Amino acid sequence: MSLKAALAGNPNCGKTTLFNALTGSSQYVGNWPGVTVEKIEGRLKTDKNIILTDLPGIYSLSPYTDDEVVSRNYLIREKPDLIINIIDASNLERNLYLTTQLAELGIPMILALNMTDIVRKNGDIIDVQKLSKHLGCPAVEISALKGTGLKQLTDTVQTALRERPIPTPPLFPQPLEKALSSVWDQKDFPQPPLFSRWLSVKILEGDRKIAEILPIPDEQKTKTAQSARILEKKYGDDIESLISAERYKTIENMLRDCYKRKIRDITVSDRVDSIVTNRWLSLPIFAVIMFSVYFISVTTVGSVATDWTNDVFFGEWIIPGLRNLMESAGTAPWAVSLTVDGIVGGVGAVLGFLPQMFILFLMLSFLEDCGYMTRVAFIMNRFFKKFGLSGKSFIPLLISSGCGVPGIMATKTIENEQNRRMTVITATFIPCGAKLPVIALISGAALGGAWWAAPAVYFTGIAAVACTGIILKKTKPFEGITAPFVMELPPYHWPAPRNLLIHVWERCRSFIVKAGTVIFLACTLIWFLSSFGFDETGFGMTSVEKSLLARTGSILAPLFIPLGFGNWEAAVATVTGLAAKENIVGTFGVLLNRGESGEIDAGLLTAVMNLFPSKAAAFSFLMFNILCAPCFAAIGAIRKQMGNPKWTIFAVAYQTLFAYTVSLIIYQFGRVISGEALSVGTLAAAAAVIVFIYALVRNPETEKRLFSRSRQ
Amino acid sequence: MPLSSAPKGSVSSIKKITGNDETRRFLSHLGFVEGAAVTVVSETAGNLILKIKASRIAVEKALAKKIFV
Repeated sequence: MSLKAALAGNPNCGKTTLFNALTGSSQYVGNWPGVTVEKIEGRLKTDKNIILTDLPGIYSLSPYTDDEVVSRNYLIREKPDLIINIIDASNLERNLYLTTQLAELGIPMILALNMTDIVRKNGDIIDVQKLSKHLGCPAVEISALKGTGLKQLTDTVQTALRERPIPTPPLFPQPLEKALSSVWDQKDFPQPPLFSRWLSVKILEGDRKIAEILPIPDEQKTKTAQSARILEKKYGDDIESLISAERYKTIENMLRDCYKRKIRDITVSDRVDSIVTNRWLSLPIFAVIMFSVYFISVTTVGSVATDWTNDVFFGEWIIPGLRNLMESAGTAPWAVSLTVDGIVGGVGAVLGFLPQMFILFLMLSFLEDCGYMTRVAFIMNRFFKKFGLSGKSFIPLLISSGCGVPGIMATKTIENEQNRRMTVITATFIPCGAKLPVIALISGAALGGAWWAAPAVYFTGIAAVACTGIILKKTKPFEGITAPFVMELPPYHWPAPRNLLIHVWERCRSFIVKAGTVIFLACTLIWFLSSFGFDETGFGMTSVEKSLLARTGSILAPLFIPLGFGNWEAAVATVTGLAAKENIVGTFGVLLNRGESGEIDAGLLTAVMNLFPSKAAAFSFLMFNILCAPCFAAIGAIRKQMGNPKWTIFAVAYQTLFAYTVSLIIYQFGRVISGEALSVGTLAAAAAVIVFIYALVRNPETEKRLFSRSRQ
Repeated sequence: MPLSSAPKGSVSSIKKITGNDETRRFLSHLGFVEGAAVTVVSETAGNLILKIKASRIAVEKALAKKIFV
């Protein structure tokens, strides 16, 4: 039978890096607390019989956020055969706080002292032998990042699974120990259950959730509560604070003879922090950084590479080459059209944006990995609080700039339910990687490659988050106090090139996989629907204008007339974007190839430009597709996080309505600015602006309740 | 005095933490316990970056007011 070993430790101490190194997986690693929000399993590379579980980071066994609950429940309910307690040795005291609690569980345990390379660099000295003796379990020095000590660690894991070393938790002062020993009544519990010491502490603390794990007789509860009150009186502090403080004291005592910490001056991280979190400079610095990221990846370097891939590689080589090859081989015309126009045209149009995506992901990964993004969360807290979000919401939003699905999942680290819901609703306003091809295509084609387009989309996304926050905060379901912002800031470091490349590769790979699956199918479907239809001769292959797709698209198109893109191609592209946002580009690729009946000389960009009457219409189309309902995968993630169909529907409906309003305003005012006459549309847009402003500035609701009937 | 009034660069010892139980408990796990030494690394409009034990913790103004040193 397989043996289970669990990786437990503080947030951001390197659990996932170690997990990847030991199992050969490539789970996402980031330099901020709370990257892992779900448990992940894998088998040890060196022994397939051992299942390793990577758990979300925890500071203690009293969970504060949802992801921490995952870890505690796993340890208590699944009872792994071994706990591998990974410790950030450069922050020994704080990490041992959890260790002393894990030791109380009575599950076999070993210590993996990580980041020992940094400890050595700092000039600190840890006597590992003595530490191991104090805690009664084996300890190994490793560096998960550098890959040192891993052989010794796996050997220790093997031995520990055989010998099952039960740790010895350090003892509290006498009065506390006495109170703990009186928790178990001989009559009710002739034999203390598993986890008895940890349970004793929890019961003494008066932890209410413990009842879920073990029912305690009332008599026993009263008795324990009494001894807790006596202790509180004696020490002049409440029992929980008292136990925390004593725990830290026992750690201090333990470390006295096995840890020497060098006194340090101001570190590089401190110096960097004083600049990037500066009251006046912090926001401009952030704006310049994000502007550069999108400007470089979409407009400058990325665009050169993408233009070449689209226009030369696919446009001049692959598509005409393949067409000639198939035609000269005598392939049926419909098959040539399906392959060249449909599949290669559609999938190729999407894949052409890979270079831009690569550069975007590379820069985002660098920012995430170096430690800057946690600082932005801190800076943003000041502003986010004003619109009902916490600075912690920034991390999910940031992850959403790669992909909305993990972004939405990352909302688990937000303590407050209202904040969490709000973040789930707004996460996909931030343009994800899949939307990048759309941004690049529209800004390249219809906006003449404007330098401001890509950054503008990003900042509009942030503005959409802010406005949504302000608007929803005023409604009853979202009112309430946000949890205070407390967050650990990791030290800055230079990201390891290997890690960066793994991140970028993982993201690009999933983009390619999506192109080969979802987008491949969608493009094939689009080709069929745009090739067949009813004409004078009945059902059969026909011109694009008479195809089933054009007819269905024409039904939807009027919806988008007020937004400036009321043609059936744009309507169809928007709908296909629900399967995956890249599909918008794929659909254009197929349709435009079909429309020109194989003439490629115009190129994708020019062809797309002809679809939109003006720049305002193109920008309106772009913003609608960025802000409206996300792809099905993201909607699924929303459903999972909301855990309630009503909230899911609300989220998607809100996003779409919001997108519609914004696009309406952009297009209609764009028209007027460019000198066109006022119309009913202008009036509607003006009304939308007024409603929008009212929603932003009105007094908070107190009476009305959204979904009042669903609540008790 | 509350930590929010402690000058940048100062090292002080925690006397008391007020506020709701959840947050107090979380702070205590991070090392904010009575008697612990805490350094103010940086200050931005009342929001602080603190050094406690060997870790760097960011706390907002409202919370810094509840930690007394």
